[in-house]
Amino acid sequence: MIPRTLKDVGKPIFPTSQILRIRFSPNGEQLVAACTDGTVRFWDTAGKEGATLRGHSGWVTTLAFAADGRLVTADSWGALTCWSKDAERKKLWSITAHEGWLRALAIREEEVATVSRDGTVRRSKLGNGELLNKTSLNADLYSVTYSHGSDELLIGDLFGKVHWLDTAGKRVRDFERNDFHLLDRIQDVGGIRGLTFSPDGKTLAISGAMPKTGGFVQAFPMLELVDAATQKTIWKWKGANDNEGYLHDLKWLDNDTLVGVTSGQPGQGKVLVWNAKTTEPALVHLKLPNCHSVDAAKQLLAVSSTNANSSGNGRGKAAEYRHNHSPISLLSLG
Amino acid sequence: MRNPLCTPVEHRLSRRAFLGAAALGGLVTPTLAETLRNERKQVLFVWLDGGISQLESWDPKPNTTFGGPFRAIPTSVPGIHISELLPETAKLMHHLAIVRSVRTQDDSHSAGVDRIQRGDPKNRGVVYPYLGSAMAKLLGAGDSGLPPYVWVKPMNGGFIYKDAGFLGPKYGALALGDGKPPENLLRPSEISAADDEERNELRKLADQRYTANRKADTTEANSYAYEMAAQLQKRVELFDLAKLPKKDQDRYGSHDLGRHMLLARRLLEKGVTFVKVTSYGWDTHGDNFNGHSSLVPKFDKPFAAMIQDLAERKMLDNVLVIAMSEFGRTPRINGHLGRDHWPEAWSVCMGGRGLKKGVVAGTTNDLGTDIATEPYDIGHLFHTWFQALGIESETKQYFNRSQPLPIAHEDMHAVKEVLA
Repeated sequence: MIPRTLKDVGKPIFPTSQILRIRFSPNGEQLVAACTDGTVRFWDTAGKEGATLRGHSGWVTTLAFAADGRLVTADSWGALTCWSKDAERKKLWSITAHEGWLRALAIREEEVATVSRDGTVRRSKLGNGELLNKTSLNADLYSVTYSHGSDELLIGDLFGKVHWLDTAGKRVRDFERNDFHLLDRIQDVGGIRGLTFSPDGKTLAISGAMPKTGGFVQAFPMLELVDAATQKTIWKWKGANDNEGYLHDLKWLDNDTLVGVTSGQPGQGKVLVWNAKTTEPALVHLKLPNCHSVDAAKQLLAVSSTNANSSGNGRGKAAEYRHNHSPISLLSLG
Repeated sequence: MRNPLCTPVEHRLSRRAFLGAAALGGLVTPTLAETLRNERKQVLFVWLDGGISQLESWDPKPNTTFGGPFRAIPTSVPGIHISELLPETAKLMHHLAIVRSVRTQDDSHSAGVDRIQRGDPKNRGVVYPYLGSAMAKLLGAGDSGLPPYVWVKPMNGGFIYKDAGFLGPKYGALALGDGKPPENLLRPSEISAADDEERNELRKLADQRYTANRKADTTEANSYAYEMAAQLQKRVELFDLAKLPKKDQDRYGSHDLGRHMLLARRLLEKGVTFVKVTSYGWDTHGDNFNGHSSLVPKFDKPFAAMIQDLAERKMLDNVLVIAMSEFGRTPRINGHLGRDHWPEAWSVCMGGRGLKKGVVAGTTNDLGTDIATEPYDIGHLFHTWFQALGIESETKQYFNRSQPLPIAHEDMHAVKEVLA
């Protein structure tokens, strides 16, 4: 049941960094964030800060929990790290998985799949990071997910193509969603930013944006639901304005409900909740600017957004040159 | 009395506007021509319109608050690192010089582009020429018989007289829209050469009559456009990049910037004094990092190919190469994961004629939020470029009718660290 509004639960968490991805731990008691200052940070659901994991370079771009609570994190220099499930969060292993920006990862049982700007998809053992296989797709790769109930992989690229690979890295099929890509002058803009199966595996959600321009990046957020068996479109939603930007993160709450967040031009951001049977969102929450990630646990939504007044040309008048940060809001789904 | 001012229509390039007039070359012996060619001073000016991020190019700050996702990579010069998005250029750093302490005055495109390309001199109530027009005036057209200031750009072309400012329209830019020759350049096949010549003679007579009651510079510009057109008619092969080896086309890339850089190389080889290549779309207020991930490699490849080709042809001894924008981009990363306009502390890459090889001048602080050494404005860079080309920028003056005007900001000086 989709609520009519989302209500704040407690006060927002104010991390000192910008955040690219947040996820609840499997038991829903911890919230963990991938930060642009190269750290991984933890909070409990009351907002009390816990451990900070260090050792990454550049940005920590994404993260995911294994079912048993182990945490896998990735960075923009191509490193992949696994941390223990206990409270100490010891580093179990760390490898250079890719030659550059590791953009997305997915975990299935004892395997982790990663994709990168280097154009490759890699399967590694979750136990020690050992390489299982690596496949070059010769495109900047943005998103990855395991197909429901199998070890096959779906990978979304910059050009709007979804590559479907078997366990050996051989092509099963691919299909194109060209609306997710634009060549504007010499800039390739857009890309399939998210691929997510419904819990029952019958529906695949493809998310990102329909770009209108490069540079400034005017773009309409876009979500397409696809029949997983036929790859035929069930419905496609496009945001109303080109200043709304990308649908940055998407989560299935159950087989009938999805939640996503957008970030467009500074100040623009939405939390959107859909009934999977209906194209238009059933709930639109407008109070959080520039949202980059969302997750849900125990009737609680966590959304990372951006502080107000995040943009501006030149130095400005403030004495100190400050960086932006990503407040995390906890919202009630109940 | 007739209006002494010309109208923009009169400067549009068309076949009619290009017909007639004698070649500029052909009056010197081959030996002298060779000598002159060897002494030729030329400029390649690559303009990345909108503002390339210094942090994702020439002045990376990896693993810092504002450093972004990318790594810095070593270059061919020990100790100098640039962004991982420039792997090909990094291999050729021994030919290049970077100024990392550029601080300019405008954080808007509308004012910034003009001020930067005109050198931001003191206000004397006149409109200064763009760098290309200044070089056309100060270095001349040489013996190539081609226009001294050619601008290769996406979209439309034409004769861009406004660039010339007070120098007068004759020093404007011939813009090759999408790298193509002006429309209707060639004589239509149904008009014979004899008929064409007759028409030209008629046109000259009309010009003379037109000149009688008008300012000389407007009619000069008009005739000049005809002369240049006549030369271009004889050089249409310049624009046929398909005839170049496929290897060259692959090295430069098939996108606009690659094709336009390859054309620029040909124009430089043929002796054009100042070639400007513009790439639009660098104003990455949103999704800056994915934007630069796509854009910078498309600059890197043809830029490196150009440097390599000019070096192999010994042309870097004659050609000054500059790559820049109207400003850099903010260290602060906004909520759209973009970077905004930043004139406070940014970088310019240059190389070739008159410059040291493999050097960096100036530094920014650890976070890239300020300059740690002497800041250099665009006036400093104009002095540097003029002096690199042997022009005494501190004493040389323009004369706008009887008004003497310094060619670069008189309170500024060249960046000595990069001058050879």
